[in-house]
Amino acid sequence: MAEDSNRDTLPGMGPLQEALRALLPRTKEELKLDLSENVHRSVLILLQQATNLFYEGRRSECLQTTEALLDYSWEKLNTGVWRDVDKDWRRVYSFSCLLKTMCLCETPGDATTVAAALKVCDMGLLMGAAILGDILSKVAAILQTHLLSGKRPAQGPAQEQPGIKKARNGHTSIPDTRSEEAVPRLHCPSLQYFRKHYLVPQRPVILEGVADHWPCMKKWSLEYIQEIAGCRTVPVEVGSRYTDEDWSQRLMTVNEFISRYILNEPKDIGYLAQHQLFDQIPELKQDIGVPDYCCLGDGEEEEITINAWFGPPGTVSPLHQDPQQNFLVQVLGRKYIRLYSPQESEALYPHDTHLLHNTSQVGPSMTFQLLPHPTPFLESRQMASLAFFRSTWRILTWRSSPGLLRPHSCPASCLLEKSCSSRLNIGIMCKPWT
Amino acid sequence: MAEERRGSWFGFGFCGFGQALGSGRGRQVTSPEPLRAAGTDAEVCSVSASWSYTAFLSRERSGPIPPGPAPTCPRLLLSWLPAPAGAGQVQLSGSARGAAEGCRDAWASETLLVVLRDGRGPGAGAELQAWAPGSALCGEPLWAQTVVPEAQREDREDGEGDGTRARPLPLLPGARAYVSPLSPLYRPLAPELRARRLELGTEHALLLDEAGQVYSWGGGRHGQLGHGTLEAEPEPRLLEALQGLPMAEVAAGGWHSVCVSATGLSGHGPGVTGTTGDEGGAPASCIALQPFPALLDLPLGSDAVKASCGSRHTAVVTRAGELYTWGWGKYGQLGHGDTTSRDWPCRVEYFVDKQLQAVAVSCGPWNTYVYAVQRETS
Repeated sequence: MAEDSNRDTLPGMGPLQEALRALLPRTKEELKLDLSENVHRSVLILLQQATNLFYEGRRSECLQTTEALLDYSWEKLNTGVWRDVDKDWRRVYSFSCLLKTMCLCETPGDATTVAAALKVCDMGLLMGAAILGDILSKVAAILQTHLLSGKRPAQGPAQEQPGIKKARNGHTSIPDTRSEEAVPRLHCPSLQYFRKHYLVPQRPVILEGVADHWPCMKKWSLEYIQEIAGCRTVPVEVGSRYTDEDWSQRLMTVNEFISRYILNEPKDIGYLAQHQLFDQIPELKQDIGVPDYCCLGDGEEEEITINAWFGPPGTVSPLHQDPQQNFLVQVLGRKYIRLYSPQESEALYPHDTHLLHNTSQVGPSMTFQLLPHPTPFLESRQMASLAFFRSTWRILTWRSSPGLLRPHSCPASCLLEKSCSSRLNIGIMCKPWT
Repeated sequence: MAEERRGSWFGFGFCGFGQALGSGRGRQVTSPEPLRAAGTDAEVCSVSASWSYTAFLSRERSGPIPPGPAPTCPRLLLSWLPAPAGAGQVQLSGSARGAAEGCRDAWASETLLVVLRDGRGPGAGAELQAWAPGSALCGEPLWAQTVVPEAQREDREDGEGDGTRARPLPLLPGARAYVSPLSPLYRPLAPELRARRLELGTEHALLLDEAGQVYSWGGGRHGQLGHGTLEAEPEPRLLEALQGLPMAEVAAGGWHSVCVSATGLSGHGPGVTGTTGDEGGAPASCIALQPFPALLDLPLGSDAVKASCGSRHTAVVTRAGELYTWGWGKYGQLGHGDTTSRDWPCRVEYFVDKQLQAVAVSCGPWNTYVYAVQRETS
C-alpha cells in the first residue's frame, strides 16, 4: 500500500516551510484577529503570547500556549447548541489550529509529522470559522501537495478493489418498485418546464442526462478518492441509523474511513453523511457541477450548500424531512429512496424529542403495512440523473402522545427514506433553497 | 504545638497564567505543591478558581488554637478551628491581580469576580459587588447591591461555625437569588426551594435544599441534569432518582454533576465517573452518556464527605482524609504526577506519603486546590 512510503523523509522540507511562511504576514503585529468582547481578556492575552512566541521561534513554548487555547476554545465550542456558539470562539479555535500547524511543520520531519499537521488543519476547517482570508484552506492545500508528491501515483485506470468483492451484500432487502407508484423521469427539461410542473407544485422528479458531463462520473473511484483526499479528516457516523442508541459520530481520515468501513469486511456501519466535503477539499469540487435548475431558487448562489454522502452498502437514513429543497446526484452505486407526500405526515409518527423532531419512529420494515401511498424510486449509476425533492410547505406535523396523534402546524417538507443496496455508494446532494 | 495543627493549601493543575499553584513555574503542576504563603499571619480559608486566575479569601487568625488534640473528622475539624473575627481579604493571582479588604466571600469566573463585602459604615448591611477581573478591584465595580440585613442574619444563624458562609456564592445571602457570570447577573430563586447550596456548571445548575434534596436545571445534552433524558430544563426540577436520600453536598463540573450523600457518592453526566479527554486533547468523541445518577464506589469502601468538580474532572475528600481524583488529566489537575486521564477514582498518594489529612477541596476548571492538615503521629 502507499502507506509504506510514509516512513521515508519527504524530499524538499525547505520549500514546505517557505511556502507556509509565505502565507503569514511578516511581522507579528499584522497577525491579528478582530474579536468581540465576548472573547475573554485572558484569551486575548494568550493569543498575543502565542503569536509572539511563534515569531520569536520559540516553537515548543508556542505549542504549549496554543494547546491551552485549543482546549479552552474547544470547551466553548461544546457549550450549548452549535448554532448559538459565538463565531469568535470558532475563530479563536481556527487561529490556534493555524499556529499549531505552523509549529508542527517548522522543523524538518517525515510524512507522519506533515499528516499530523494536516489533521490539526482539518480540525480548524471542520470546527472553526474562516480567518485571515481562509488561510487554513491554503495551508491544507500546501500540506496536501507535499504529502502527495511523496507517494507513488495510482496504478492505471480505476479497478474495483478485491476487498469490495468480499463486502457483505443485501443488508436490506430492496422492495420491488414496479408495483408502486414511481417518480416520473424526464430528460433535460427546460428550466421553465421544470419550474412550472415540479418546482412550483412541489412534486418530485428525476432529471436524466443533466450530470452526464460532470468529471466525477468518469474519474471517481476508491483509489481516486484515496489519492485526492486520503489524509483529510472527516466526520463519520457510526451505527446503523441515527435513531439508534449506539449511534455516534467520529472524526477520522478518509483513508481510515475507507479501510475500516468500506474495505476489509467492516464490522459495523460507518457513513460519511451530510458533510460539506467540497468546501473542505476544493480538489474534489472541481469534479462536480451545480445544476442550472438551482438558479430558479429564491436565495443567493452562496446559499447553496453541497453535501456529500459516501458509504458502504447497508446504510440507512431513517424516514425524515429536510427543511430545504434538494437535488440528489448518485455518482457510484445504487440507492433506494422512498418518499411520502406531506398529506401522509399524520401517519408517520415523528419522535417527541427536540433533537429528532423531524424523524419518524417507524422503520422500513413496518412501512408496507402501515404507511399509505409511498412514492419510491430506485436510482442507479447508469442514469446519472438528478432527483428533485420538494420541500418547505406549510403542513401539519404533530406531537405524539402514546398511541395518539394530534396535529400541530409548523413548516416541514416531504419525507424521504433511503437505503443503499450496492457495494459502494457515493451521492452528492445540493440544497439550493431555504 | 498550635503550628503543627495548622493546615495549609496545596495546588496542582493548570497555571498557564502564573496563578499561584505551588511553585507556579511552567504551565502546569502535576503533583500537589504547597501554596506560597500570601502573607505571614493571613490564613487562606477559601479558594475560588477560574480558568485564568484564582481568588484567595484569607482572614487574620483571631485567637489561639484551643488546647487538646484536633478532631480527625474533617467536618468537626473545620468547626474546631476558631471562628475569625470579621471579614478578611481577597487576593487575586494569575491573569487578574489585586487585593481588597473587608471581604466575606468571593467567587471567580472569567467574565466576573463577585465579592461579598462588609458594608461601608457601621451597621450597614453587606454589599455584593461584581467586578471585571481585569480591574484589579480598583475603581468602581460593574454592579453592586446591598444585601438585605435580614438575609444576612439568617445566614449567620445557619452557619457551620467555621467562619465560612453557610450559603456560599454564587448563592446570595437569604437564598432568594444567585449570581450568574452571564447576563442577567442577578437571578431570583423561588423561596420555597429553601436553597442551601448552589453550584454552576458550564450549561447547568445544581441546587441543594435544606432537606438535602437536589434540583437541577439548564442544558441537558450531556446528561448532566440527572433526569434520565438529554432534554433541557428551564426551571429547577427535583432530582427524583435521589428523592428521599438526603444529600450533604453537590458539585457541578463543566458538563457533569456529583452529589455526596451520607452514605456515598453518586454522579451523573458524561461517563459515570465524569468526562475524560482523549490523547488529542479534545473530549473523546465517543463518550457514553450517563443521564441518571449512578452510585460511584470509592476504593476500600471509603466514604466521601466533600466533592468539587472542574471542567472535566472531579475531586473527592473522604472521611478518612484521603483525596481521590478522576477525569481529564491533561494539565495535571488530577495530581498523580502525570498528565494521564483516568476513568475511575484514584487516590492522590502525595497526601498519604506526607502524612497529610485532606480536609477541603476546591476545583478550578483545569486545576485543584486542597486544604490539608498534618496528621497526628501516634
